[in-house]
Amino acid sequence: MARLLRSYAFTIVGIAIGVAGLVALGAMAERIVRFIDGGDRFVLGQISVAGKGLGMGTGFTAGGLLSAAQLGEIAAVPGVAGVQAQVMLPIDTSRSQFLTLTQELVLGLDLTVPMPNKHYRELPVRTGRFLRAGERHRTVLGADFAAARALAVGQTLVLEGTDYTVVGVLERTLTAPDRFAIVSIDDARELFLAKEPLLGRLPIPRGDLNTGAAVGWQEGNDPDGVARHIAAQVTSVNVTIPSEISEVLRSSTAFFSALLFGIGALGLVIGGLTLSNTVAAAVFERIRDFGIKRALGATDLALGGEILREALVVSFAGSLLGVVLAAAIGLGVNLHVGARGQHLFLFSTRLVLGALGFSVILGGLAAAYATGRVIRLSPAEAIRRGA
Amino acid sequence: MLRAAHLVKTFRGPDATPVPVIQGVSLQVEAGECVVVAGASGSGKSTLLNLIGLLEDPDEGEIWLAGRRLTPASRREKSRARGRAIGYVFQSFLLLSSLTAIENVMLSARYIGSERAGARRKALALLEQFGVAHRKDHYPPQLSGGEQQRVAYCRAVLNDPPLILADEPTGNLDDEHARVILEGLRDRARAGAAIVVVSHRPEPTRHADRVVHLTGGMLT
Repeated sequence: MARLLRSYAFTIVGIAIGVAGLVALGAMAERIVRFIDGGDRFVLGQISVAGKGLGMGTGFTAGGLLSAAQLGEIAAVPGVAGVQAQVMLPIDTSRSQFLTLTQELVLGLDLTVPMPNKHYRELPVRTGRFLRAGERHRTVLGADFAAARALAVGQTLVLEGTDYTVVGVLERTLTAPDRFAIVSIDDARELFLAKEPLLGRLPIPRGDLNTGAAVGWQEGNDPDGVARHIAAQVTSVNVTIPSEISEVLRSSTAFFSALLFGIGALGLVIGGLTLSNTVAAAVFERIRDFGIKRALGATDLALGGEILREALVVSFAGSLLGVVLAAAIGLGVNLHVGARGQHLFLFSTRLVLGALGFSVILGGLAAAYATGRVIRLSPAEAIRRGA
Repeated sequence: MLRAAHLVKTFRGPDATPVPVIQGVSLQVEAGECVVVAGASGSGKSTLLNLIGLLEDPDEGEIWLAGRRLTPASRREKSRARGRAIGYVFQSFLLLSSLTAIENVMLSARYIGSERAGARRKALALLEQFGVAHRKDHYPPQLSGGEQQRVAYCRAVLNDPPLILADEPTGNLDDEHARVILEGLRDRARAGAAIVVVSHRPEPTRHADRVVHLTGGMLT
């Protein structure tokens, strides 16, 4: 086996380069897919409600403030299972949210209520722990948020002049929570007042300072139907219909979907052509050897099987090397840009297995094609051509 | 042992004009007989050897081996006949550069399903007999021309084929190495094999039972 790999070293390197390109492009596409799918799962897992109004600059939930009374009204709508008040604020108020898809946010949660989102019952913690109800001046950070500031559990994050102890860092989700600083809702309300001084001069009870609410529905209820009931029964609210907002999200990310489709198609064409060409060339290069073997009595079946076996081993070895090469480059780049809270490549299991399977199958097909061409020749012709 | 009747082979030239290379050649070689086909370069000797060795199909004519007609025959039948009944010694040795000397010799046994350990013992004995056993683990590029030809000869005779075909077996060798190969072929004939040697050099004719001349694709 070692000798076979040695004798095909250049072929293996050629395949590896093609597969590395395919896997690297695929990993970038996977990263975008994960981001879009994550957003989709989020909006389909809950009904988001805000008060009526513009509410610009307060994160995801479009709309104005949502009062405590409105929260109570929402909870009374038939089919509603839980209402969690939230405050969502941009960390940097000097930049418009329109200019960034992945802005950093403070998310204040009412932790006395279980997370209503059906797809995110809890956020996975990588180090430390999640926040507990009643805790103040503690925060749990998203992976990119923590990486961008080199923050770890036990360290301090300063928000609007107040120290927040980091008690946990989330697993990287490759979606919005990676850029969150999660705090208790009471802390978030304080931050809201600090960021929006006008609010402090208005006679608004603290309990009414909510930029929105996540609403869950009871099992067996249609989430779109429950959302429409809320819109009909609670006055002055903006309600997102899960399937509609999913559709809006999908259409707003259509460009990225098209882009990643293009990236994937390009990767398949470049990687596939490189690989099949390299394998076929390797078979044709040994045409003289195959002629000699036929002269020594190799049947079509024996020789075809031999070539195919070698091609599969070589394709697999080249593909594996390509995956390792792409992973090394991708992880290196991730490490480099990770310091700025970015993450460009996602080497998912399905991508790696898909690339290996694709390469081995394509290598096998290329070898089968080349073998078919080679074994049709007479032994004398094969020896002549290979001379 | 070998009977070839009315063989015809024509190749296509660069402008698709037919180039007749073998024109109605008939040849019979008995078991134990060593026949030398002599002729100038380009007379069609190698093509004739390719035809009777089933390395190439004739356009016309018949080939019989050990009483069995092999034209026409299925590709599988011809492969089996090549593996079991015919041994080839090529002018340019045609050893596989990725295999060691002993692996090249043992390659003959692989496609006829011989037992590996037995084939190895026999290959070693042959390499010993021809003075190249000490080079058994060397690759062809690490061997001299004489050594490569002796290894190629060992490969040709490993399966004790009843027919041995040699294409200019001494063409690239000095006198001493040429003598070793020709004596080897002569010994095989004495042991009952049919030998056909094609050559444009005089040495092989001295070991032949019969010499036939090929001129312009016809035996004279």
